[in-house]
Amino acid sequence: MEILTANRLIKQYGKKTAVNDVSFTINAGDFIGLLGPNGAGKTTTIKMLTGLVKGDSGSIFYNGIDFKSQPIECKRLIGIVPQHSNVDKDLTAYENLYMQAIFYSIPTNQRKNKIDEILDFAGLIEYRDKQVKTFSGGMKRRLTLIRALLHQPKILYLDEPTVGLDPQIRRSMWELILRINQQKLTSILLTTHYIEEAERLCGKVMIINNGKIIIEGSPEQLKGGIGHFVLEEFVDDAIKEDFFETKEDALTHIKDCVNSCKIREASLEDVFIKLTGKRINA
Amino acid sequence: MLNGFLGILYREFSVYRKKAGKQILASSISPLLYLIAFGYGFGRNVDVGGIPYITFLVPGLIAMSSLNQSFSIAQELNITRFYFHIFDIYLTAPVPPVQIVMGEAVYGMFKGFLSAGIIFILAYIFGVNLIISPLFFPAIIIHTLIFTTLGITVAMLVRDHGDQATVNNFIITPMIFLCGTFFPVDRLPAIMKTIVYILPLTYSSKVIRATLTGGDVDYRYLMIMSGFAIVFFITALMAVKRVEG
Repeated sequence: MEILTANRLIKQYGKKTAVNDVSFTINAGDFIGLLGPNGAGKTTTIKMLTGLVKGDSGSIFYNGIDFKSQPIECKRLIGIVPQHSNVDKDLTAYENLYMQAIFYSIPTNQRKNKIDEILDFAGLIEYRDKQVKTFSGGMKRRLTLIRALLHQPKILYLDEPTVGLDPQIRRSMWELILRINQQKLTSILLTTHYIEEAERLCGKVMIINNGKIIIEGSPEQLKGGIGHFVLEEFVDDAIKEDFFETKEDALTHIKDCVNSCKIREASLEDVFIKLTGKRINA
Repeated sequence: MLNGFLGILYREFSVYRKKAGKQILASSISPLLYLIAFGYGFGRNVDVGGIPYITFLVPGLIAMSSLNQSFSIAQELNITRFYFHIFDIYLTAPVPPVQIVMGEAVYGMFKGFLSAGIIFILAYIFGVNLIISPLFFPAIIIHTLIFTTLGITVAMLVRDHGDQATVNNFIITPMIFLCGTFFPVDRLPAIMKTIVYILPLTYSSKVIRATLTGGDVDYRYLMIMSGFAIVFFITALMAVKRVEG
């Protein structure tokens, strides 16, 4: 079942086209990654899909409902975790979630239980009545994440949800995000410029560059398109790379190397380099 | 049905509750200084239109201080919009823009009422005799609505904090000093008089003064104030719709 249909989205800022003819669909339960370098158009795409930026053209449908003509109905189906955590630091965790419960018309007699349940789900129940200004960065991100889930959205937008977090907290966020996708059956669109994050979490990845989706498929399919193994040969100051379908093929060719060589598994970064000639995290 | 309006009120009053002491104290300082400096220092033994200057001044201070507090919603929205991005929560929630304006307007008006209440207390302490007409209440409601909706409009139109300061310096501050808060506008030169009668505070301060000093309220002025309130509510609504994607 299609939860989101985005057709030919375009957004220009002056002469720069931030989103250039982007179309895709998201089905129930999908976990899709929008992977690209900074400035590729990921956040603008999310902002268009959530009503924070008016697109120049294109159409968006949630569950078959037109976002332009029925924005309120559509917004009920959406949960958003923005790139910069916007939980209210002057409020407690409970108050932040209570405000969300009012906005999304959660019945008064269910609010307290739902809030406590979701705080427990994210491991924040003991910080329920603490002001957010006392929270660590990771706790703020978790609170932002569960705030977006409180009204049980059909689709959750995660805009660079782990940016700025240290590796250990990033991994705990990944576990939480995967639990949301699997236990709450929420479709997820995640933007990231972290290769490992996209490979680890997403069933399907769309690679975006200069506002355009240049390729899409599962991480395995995308890597399969260039070859799953890379033979790197260090020539002077440069690295020469050759791609092979199997490790055995790569091993066969390693004998021909004149210089120092190494075999490694291909990544989505390699896919991006192959397609654009640039690195994602340049 | 009023989920947006109630959600915004919940947020604003939850934050206000935590800062109420500081805010009340801060909003008492300048009217207190004006009362001492102009009421007792400069205005002692001075009459304006047959009433003691301090009695003339207090309604002007009520108009000024409630304007300042209602309009300060602009600054608060500015911060939530550009720095903490809390305004994005409202824009992405299933909330019609009119409820955002209503919620912020009621909060801004509350701040205006509170500052008016503080000046009543100060006036009582200073022994100022005020004759409160029932018309004071609709007048202060309309007055605070004018300036809180103007504040919302400005907050949605400015691009950063600097723009906000410019609006305060070029519109709000001159209005506060020239529109009948400290002296009758009739004493201004003809050209200045024409200019101040374009500004809403001129009507507010005249009506508020009349409702607190036993004067006759000019109903045309109340109508003009209502007109300003309607226009600024509409501009606030259009401005919120403009920032919504």
